[in-house]
Amino acid sequence: MHKYETVLVFQADLDEAVLNTAVETVETLIKTNGEVTKIDRWGKRKLAYPIRKQFEGYYVYMTFDSEPSEIVNIKRTLGYNEQVLRFIILRLD
Amino acid sequence: MTDNKPEITQEPERTERPERAERPERPERSERPERQERGQRGDRRRFVSRPKYCQFCTDKNLKIDYKNVELMGRYINETGKIRPRRQTGACAKHQREVATAIKNARHIALIPFEGDFWAEY
Repeated sequence: MHKYETVLVFQADLDEAVLNTAVETVETLIKTNGEVTKIDRWGKRKLAYPIRKQFEGYYVYMTFDSEPSEIVNIKRTLGYNEQVLRFIILRLD
Repeated sequence: MTDNKPEITQEPERTERPERAERPERPERSERPERQERGQRGDRRRFVSRPKYCQFCTDKNLKIDYKNVELMGRYINETGKIRPRRQTGACAKHQREVATAIKNARHIALIPFEGDFWAEY
């Protein structure tokens, strides 16, 4: 198990309920083979440049423990998720 | 009475420089209110003398973090480029770390790849 941190940028034009479920799906995705240790919602932010014609993003910061082999799966699944505009996963330790 | 004389003569020296105000970029810059809200002072760095010693070596508590927009913004210039070491004063080790941090921050759209910070797009 290693410590990781991630910043997820969701589409900001979604409803609050849809956003919450979107965050939860990512949470459960990580939880399948790991543990979420911290969730920090930065909220809506203006993007420094437009992504997919979006000018705002909903930023969520998470730290979690997971196996390195699982990161590949997480990255792939996040890539298919259209609600996630951008994400970054970095190892903390 | 004679002591007052040098003080009076100094006053006319503070002449205003009208050619500065006539610069074409000036009014455009002031039209960006977002910059003040975000605590960005884009104009500042052009006039400030460069640091003589690495900021991160001086302050050990200061962590290079791609999430720290305010800090990363100080290491890019007006066009969004990473500022060179001769300007930032950072040591080789920390400049490398700053460079990767900026690239990470760019990826998640915290800082721009090109152009000024909150310029219209």
